[in-house]
Amino acid sequence: METCTKVTKDWLNTQEYREKNFAREKLVINPAKACQPLGALLCALGIEGSLPFVHGSQGCAAYFRSTLSRHYREPVAAVSDSMTEDSAVFGGQSNLIEGLKNANTLYSPQVISIFTSCMAEVIGDDINAYLGNAKDQEAIPKDLPVALANTPSFKGSHITGYDSMLKGLIDCLAAPRQEDKLNERLYVVPGFDTYTANLREYKRLLKVMDTPYTLLPDQSEVLDAPNLGTYELYPGGTPITEMKDALNAASFLFTQTYSTPTTRKYLASKGVPVEVISMPIGIAGTDKFIESVAKITGKDVPEEITLERGRSIDAMTDAHQYIHGKKFALFGDPDVLIGVVSFLLEMGGEPVHIVCSNSTPLFKKAMESLLGSSPYGQGATLYAGKDLWHLRSLLVTDPVDMLIGDSHGKWAARDADIPLVRIGFPITDRVNLHRYPIVGYSGVINMITMIVNTFLEEKDRTSSDTYFEMMR
Amino acid sequence: MFTNLTKLDLKDKKCMSDAGSPKLCMKALPGEGAERSCAYDGARVVLMPITDAAHLVHGPIACAGNSWDNRGARSSGSQLFRRGLTTDIMENDVIYGGETKLKDSILEIAANHDPKAIFVYATCVSSLIGDDVEKICQEAETELTIPVIAVNCPGFLGDKNIGNRIAGEVLYDRVIGTGSGPSEKIPLSINLIGEYNIAGDLWGVLPDLKNLGIKLQTAITGDAKFEDLRSAHRASLNVLICSKSLTNLVRKMEIRYGIPFMEGSFYGIHDTSETLIKIAKALGDPDLLERTLVYVGKKEEETRKVIAGYKALLENKQAVLFTGGVKTWSMVSTLAELGINILAGGTQNSTPEDFQRMKELMDPSAQIIEDTSSAGFLKIIAEKKPDLIVAGGKTKYLAHKTRTPFLDINHGRKLPYAGYEGMITFAETLTRTVLSPVWGHLRRKFPPKEGEQVD
Repeated sequence: METCTKVTKDWLNTQEYREKNFAREKLVINPAKACQPLGALLCALGIEGSLPFVHGSQGCAAYFRSTLSRHYREPVAAVSDSMTEDSAVFGGQSNLIEGLKNANTLYSPQVISIFTSCMAEVIGDDINAYLGNAKDQEAIPKDLPVALANTPSFKGSHITGYDSMLKGLIDCLAAPRQEDKLNERLYVVPGFDTYTANLREYKRLLKVMDTPYTLLPDQSEVLDAPNLGTYELYPGGTPITEMKDALNAASFLFTQTYSTPTTRKYLASKGVPVEVISMPIGIAGTDKFIESVAKITGKDVPEEITLERGRSIDAMTDAHQYIHGKKFALFGDPDVLIGVVSFLLEMGGEPVHIVCSNSTPLFKKAMESLLGSSPYGQGATLYAGKDLWHLRSLLVTDPVDMLIGDSHGKWAARDADIPLVRIGFPITDRVNLHRYPIVGYSGVINMITMIVNTFLEEKDRTSSDTYFEMMR
Repeated sequence: MFTNLTKLDLKDKKCMSDAGSPKLCMKALPGEGAERSCAYDGARVVLMPITDAAHLVHGPIACAGNSWDNRGARSSGSQLFRRGLTTDIMENDVIYGGETKLKDSILEIAANHDPKAIFVYATCVSSLIGDDVEKICQEAETELTIPVIAVNCPGFLGDKNIGNRIAGEVLYDRVIGTGSGPSEKIPLSINLIGEYNIAGDLWGVLPDLKNLGIKLQTAITGDAKFEDLRSAHRASLNVLICSKSLTNLVRKMEIRYGIPFMEGSFYGIHDTSETLIKIAKALGDPDLLERTLVYVGKKEEETRKVIAGYKALLENKQAVLFTGGVKTWSMVSTLAELGINILAGGTQNSTPEDFQRMKELMDPSAQIIEDTSSAGFLKIIAEKKPDLIVAGGKTKYLAHKTRTPFLDINHGRKLPYAGYEGMITFAETLTRTVLSPVWGHLRRKFPPKEGEQVD
């Protein structure tokens, strides 16, 4: 077989290559997903005093920390038990036991959150048994809680790992449900959400609605810690006391669907009422969130919320002409995609290409039904399980006006000569975006700001003198 | 914590890396932290900058998904090396094996991406499930016209250094000397080994080499083209830039191709000059040496003149240095050049020799950081209260939380610091870092106590 001589940038932009590219099955080019343990690490950071502990090769832990650190621009704490070739032969038990002992001595956590990377999974380490042995050998105190999650990276993606760790943490920390001791609190689970501002927004809205709540997990103080002159290893997170009482919740409300199925199933099996909604992005999405909270608590929606909603709608009317009829390509995680697409549809924006690497059949169905429900969704196609190299082919053969996704999309956007508005994870080449919510009514305003101002900036920078204007 | 290097007997030759590998970069203890990367990462660091080759990761999404295009190595030509190529090993592959997937992927890349060679990286998973990466690469190669090179670097083999060494072996066995062109030596030509062109470092050095009439055969591997690497054995001299991790490569090249090697650094005025003079001497051309002595004198004067303004601003600032490899000692002299005192220095991936050298350069009162974990890092900052921390990106945000100015000198940086030009950039960036008004806001107490003024 000869190497192809016509491989040029121009040829890569052709329909002919697009077809070839979509026939590609084995190779992944420019992946748009991360691995299970990364999601587990993010989850583990959101519990008070929790030390994330990677059972596996040390390089994995270094990668997760560096990816998260680059997104949040914050230190990210985690330890690894550094399994090596010997562990591959003899199992990772001695690493785990020694690691637990050292980690506990050095970092005095309130809970250790163990999750696995591939190596431990391939050799079949039984972390549950190892943990029992560690406690028997008094490597760590018997009463130190240790949460467990199996998170092989060759299965699922970061959102799966988040889910497993969350279930592991509740299972480890929460006392059994007692119907006579329910705590009247609404437990809100944000899912794999990398916007600290989203977490703060949930808390603000719940406070405005006078709802006793627990956000679980809550990384807002951990990954957006104020600079007070000293570094805190455990600067916040869902309080352990509220973790302990989690199964006595009045109800659980999940604001992401695809990053939480295991945990929901677990809670339902414990008799806890569970409600799930789409990520509250856009007006309808946020309405649903507010309505769900009001329904669960039985309280009226306060006027403050109505006014806030009104301001967002006003912003939509001010800016609709800049989005209506514009064509968009999007990529990202299922929950974020559902949210952003529904927002675009509300504005009359037209999603054309939607790439989801970690798609599921349920998500596919939900996305197709969402697109089908709007006249603006008719021209859209969901590409499940595809990567950013597929997306590139789509963008250059069937152009759109804007790409929405994380920083990894910048190559494809550049090749297609269109702007990229960064929504998703990771965002490693812009500052502060995680400090602006994309959920809630204020999220609506922020998204309009990002999208519309990007279009207008493009226009100003590319228009001739004739069409250069003070008003846009 | 990490091995206490100061307690090693540095005069004991057995402790030194005779085989060319930094044996004393000890393993991390389980549970103490997660600062260190793995052998796979180490191999990638060395080989990935080869610009016109494809780099295929045969592993689960963790290995490539978390790390494609994450190092800032720059290319003047092909950008193929930054394409994130992976077989994305899934559960079925773990059960049934991933060899077919790998083979298909290699053929796909060859057909549609125009690589000059394909490097295939084994990972923990591919090794544990018993995929024979070497065999598949050989098979694929027989069907193709380009080299398909297996890099057997599963992460569990250990630290980054081990991966560096494996990459060196791969270059020696499969790349260098494999071209079809002539093989006689090129006069006054050198290879720069361990220079990865991070942030364009290489380009800070090239003008000086050119002005002196020294030909760069290739860097290993910054901005390198595969064909140039193949002819690396034609160079007259190997210059080892990044510490010891590729010592095995230069030693073997010396034996097989008779290429002598030397160590050098292009960080700081003094080291740049010294390295250029050493190169001239090693190349054995009296004219060149004479030219070089005049040239470095002139460049030093020019550069010192430009940085004098920065030096005045930075003089007597106190720094803590926390870095790896050759930068351990080269940074000491670079900072000294700007009048900065070093309160403490530590390192992770350096050899005892690097370490010794650093100690010799530092003020005797300066402290060697033995505990390189986050906890140790924070302790040193609290004790020393430096004006400045110079380190790799992993400690950046920790440093910020302690309200200490921080300069990233590893691969997270965006500006080149090598050579005379780089020294100017370095001085400029350092000044901006240390004198940024944000530190003042951070240190100001708020709200003020009664009777105090908010300035």
